[in-house]
Amino acid sequence: MQGVSLLVVIALILYTVIAVVDQISIQCGLYTPLFAAVITGALLGDLPTGLIVGATLQLMTLGVATYGGATVPDYLSGAIMGTAYAIISGQGAEYGIGLAIPIGLLLTQMDILGRMTNSFFQHYADRCAENADYKGVERANLLGLLPWVLSRVIPVALGLIFGEAVVNGVNAIIPAWFMTGLKTAGAILPAMGMAILMRYLPIKKYYPYFIIGFVLIAFGGATFTVMAAALIGLALAALHLSRARERAAVQTLDEEEVEIDG
Amino acid sequence: MADKNQTGSVKLEKSDINKVYLRNLFTLQFGWNYEKMQGLGYAYVIMPVLKRLYSNDPEKMKRALKMHLGYFNTTPAMSHLIVGADMALEEELGIEAEEAITGLKTGLMGPFAGVGDTLFIAIYRAIVFSIASYIAMQGNPIGLIIPLIACAGVLWIRYKFTCIGYQSGRKLATGFADKISPITEAASILGLTVVGALIPSVIKYRTDLQFTMGEVTFALQDMLDKIMPSLLPLGIVVFSYWLLGKKKVNSTKLIFILIGLGMVLGNLQSMLTFVAGLF
Repeated sequence: MQGVSLLVVIALILYTVIAVVDQISIQCGLYTPLFAAVITGALLGDLPTGLIVGATLQLMTLGVATYGGATVPDYLSGAIMGTAYAIISGQGAEYGIGLAIPIGLLLTQMDILGRMTNSFFQHYADRCAENADYKGVERANLLGLLPWVLSRVIPVALGLIFGEAVVNGVNAIIPAWFMTGLKTAGAILPAMGMAILMRYLPIKKYYPYFIIGFVLIAFGGATFTVMAAALIGLALAALHLSRARERAAVQTLDEEEVEIDG
Repeated sequence: MADKNQTGSVKLEKSDINKVYLRNLFTLQFGWNYEKMQGLGYAYVIMPVLKRLYSNDPEKMKRALKMHLGYFNTTPAMSHLIVGADMALEEELGIEAEEAITGLKTGLMGPFAGVGDTLFIAIYRAIVFSIASYIAMQGNPIGLIIPLIACAGVLWIRYKFTCIGYQSGRKLATGFADKISPITEAASILGLTVVGALIPSVIKYRTDLQFTMGEVTFALQDMLDKIMPSLLPLGIVVFSYWLLGKKKVNSTKLIFILIGLGMVLGNLQSMLTFVAGLF
């Protein structure tokens, strides 16, 4: 077993900074556990483990998003540390998934702390506004990035530097049945991602499409892939859209006729 | 166009709109806080416009800053429409339109968040990141390119939103919601088809439970497969869906419940053997 080299720690800290900016701005995906685990795996020389940890965490957290600024567990930091621990301990992807989840949950507190700290900058900006000091307002918003970045970078840096000690400590405590259970838990946890999405999407109205997707893969899994199901979904969506357009066109016609009659 | 009066005389330039677009993309949530949420960020985003219009008049600048530092929160992708409309209003009417601008911002952020959270967060993630994860699970990192390509499309849409908002000013409020609802429905259909397909392809849990009756051993999984493949994964998802409908269960609690369920299911055979050994 070896620890994480200083160079890799620095690279991962830089990545974390970029990922946090991505998370609060354009969300192109660098902030997701999928990218975090894959990049960590690549930097530590074990891409396959990174791919499995990342994909599993991503599927589990598909529906877990910050709607309206609600705080969610920090699976970005969790994925980085979980993947790193899985690789340096040599225990495999399930071990990493099992660790990433509690780490992410624990770091929820850091997210809340960061958002609370930003109230300070809001007050600072309010004071600047009284003096029409627009440069001060600009400064306040830019400084607001600091709590965001620090709330992620500090735990990631500490977690990676003391990684070996953490792994050894965890290994000494965990019994075998727990590891078996964790593996099964890792296999069923993506159910949460699907369930949250089903809560967000209008499943009561459009459940037939859900059934189509399920049956395609459950019975035809040897022939169909998820990509195939997505394309069928796209075709069904396009049909719905064109029918909606036709209905709208008919409605406008009706309205115009009424006007003529009047 | 001839000057109508003092307030409408200064016009925004193309570069102002581009600056606002870039600030909107990257910095809207830098200063996110529990008091005003995106309020601080909004003031920063709109600042190129304020500088253009009010930099010679501290009193107007003060009013504009205070107005824009107020509470604001919506889906970042949708905020471009509001910011665009705000630019147009402020260019035409200036800070005298304070009430109209505040009304526009607070009136639109709620409904836009409703549409935007579904379209740009829930459905977008369900489609883009689930397919990327599915490919990654097969051991191939190439799938990670899908979110990046999709993101480029979203950046383009967000630029269009800025322009649409700017061009249509206040008119957009009523028309836009009608136009976008069939698109949201269509995207929901695509999203639900993918979610249905993901369950059997991603959740590979199979029970290893066996029953011995006399000389014959039944494997539970074989019997379940005869009813329907992937019955257990579907059952676990439906169970989770049902739990999330309960007031007291949020996603964090669901994680613990599923980990507990995994602990039980993973050790079920040895638990049963242990219990059977007692008799």
